Amino acid sequence: MRVAEADVGRTAAAPTIAAGPQDSAPVIVSKNLTVGYELHRERQRLTALRDISLTVNRGEFVVLVGPSGCGKTTFINAISGLVKPWEGSIEVNGRPVTGPGPDRAMVFQDYALMPWRTVESNIRMPFEMQKLGLSQKEMDERVRRYIDLVDLTGFENSFPYELSGGMKQRVGIARALVSEPDILLADEPFAAIDAMTREAMQSELERFVTNTRQTVVFITHSIDEAVTLGDRVVVISYRPGRIKEIVNVNLPRPRFDYDVKMLPEYGELRDHIWRLVKDEALQTARGAK
Amino acid sequence: MATMAPSEPARIVKTEWSMREFWKRYGSWFVTVANLTIFFVVWELFARSGAISPLFLPPASSMFEALWTGLTTTSPPGSVISGSIRDHLFYSLGNLSLGLFLACLIGIPAGLLMGGNRYIETVLSPYVWALASLPRIALVPLFILFLGFTVKMQVTIIVLSAVFPIIINAWAGVKTTEKSLLAAAKVFGASRRELYTKVVLPYTLPFIISGVQQGIGRGLIGVIIAEIFGGSKGLGYLIQRAADTFNSALMYAVLFLLVVVSLTLIQLTRWLEAYVAPWRRIDRL
Ligand SMILES: Nc1ncnc2c1ncn2[C@@H]1O[C@H](COP(=O)(O)OP(=O)(O)OP(=O)(O)O)[C@@H](O)[C@H]1O
Ligand SMILES: [Mg+2]
Repeated sequence: MRVAEADVGRTAAAPTIAAGPQDSAPVIVSKNLTVGYELHRERQRLTALRDISLTVNRGEFVVLVGPSGCGKTTFINAISGLVKPWEGSIEVNGRPVTGPGPDRAMVFQDYALMPWRTVESNIRMPFEMQKLGLSQKEMDERVRRYIDLVDLTGFENSFPYELSGGMKQRVGIARALVSEPDILLADEPFAAIDAMTREAMQSELERFVTNTRQTVVFITHSIDEAVTLGDRVVVISYRPGRIKEIVNVNLPRPRFDYDVKMLPEYGELRDHIWRLVKDEALQTARGAK
Repeated sequence: MATMAPSEPARIVKTEWSMREFWKRYGSWFVTVANLTIFFVVWELFARSGAISPLFLPPASSMFEALWTGLTTTSPPGSVISGSIRDHLFYSLGNLSLGLFLACLIGIPAGLLMGGNRYIETVLSPYVWALASLPRIALVPLFILFLGFTVKMQVTIIVLSAVFPIIINAWAGVKTTEKSLLAAAKVFGASRRELYTKVVLPYTLPFIISGVQQGIGRGLIGVIIAEIFGGSKGLGYLIQRAADTFNSALMYAVLFLLVVVSLTLIQLTRWLEAYVAPWRRIDRL
């Protein structure tokens, strides 16, 4: 369990829970990161993110929100090593990111499942490619456990084209969790999942990462989801994306053990973030004209 | 670990087949059989009515008869044309298989390399496009000049006919490999080699099969052209001879056989494609 260090808005009425070891070692350090894409066709460079400075501590749950196209995916791609910084730097565990590594796993916005692999085989993929030194038995056991976690037992031998969007997304989640990485990068992992299942999965994820003390960078379009899950919510402005504001969410965890949405602070935080994002979204709409 | 979804999830269950589903699945077969029967009956009646000379259109029954005798008899030693189709069929199929095999042997690696390496692509692509767009029949006189009326000449023409669709499809497969699949493989630790063996190749496999499928069609044209132009054996030669000797029943029998051979080969590759790439199974012609 983690609560951000500057613990301001904690309410006495909210249930308290046993605190785990507090440790604020920085895991992801982004300094003045500017990154973008080369558009070969138009001989242009598109700056997707400008001057992003953000430090994520061990065990922290950071949520990124912002209008579509503001560079959220680009930021986690920079953390995962899929895109290289143009300016500034990005470090993971004290070392500059030069490429992907087994300490980071990702849930992809567009699922990115191998269509020729079954559900089980997709989830097993990280084991095949990263030599983690686990025994065969342990790998089998983990694959089974994570298939069960995302409630896909019985669909092990189905192919992605036989699954619904939400089911595919759950395969993507299991694939990211199965290697139990230090850092989980999740790009709108619950976007295709219905409201009821979504809530159940949010609760499960909160409990899960609290237990495993994983560091999470999580993207969502749902402000409710951001406030429910995040220790901090980073609001990113429209293109080129800059950090507009970082909002601390100091609500006690696990937030699903009580009705967090009933807390007055919840409503205030939600409204505050909503206004920030709305301003940006309006600019996006204007920019599109 | 508790399950994430609140409700009991749906499981895959076997269902009984209703008459309607049976028809939905096999109905088109019945329709096709009836359709073809009617087609041949009408042909038969039309040819027998005397409205057209049997030289141009023999009755369907004569064609089937020629086909039957042609496939069940072998020609006596020494004779070249005796009404036997079988020897010619085996000869042509043998050349076609050899040609297709060589076309795959050259085309698949060439296409993969062109897709995977920008320099190879830049160097080879003008030649590939030039030769792919050149009507292959224009090359036949050249090869007759070089190689004479030999099996070598015929196989060369088959290879040249079949290799380009294979190259181009394999090339396109590599080039269009979904970026997000590559990204996912990288994130989960794929080495450069694994990116090729575990993403690019499986992604490209159905493209290669489509290439081979097109190659079969082109290769068959190559076989017939090569044999009509220059040869003393094979189905193309047989068509030519049947026409020369006004044996229209035999000619139609060979044409019919060509349709059957071509459809069979193409259907085989479709099954292969559906088997190796079920996710691409889309209803199409
Ligand atoms: N591969 C790419 N090549 C060129 N431009 C890209 C590429 N990927 C993203 N972009 C551009 O970079 C900008 C940021 O994209 P990004 O995918 O990071 O946005 P996002 O915040 O994740 O949006 P969304 O919420 O819609 O997923 C966009 O304007 C997009 O046009
Ligand atoms: Mg995105």
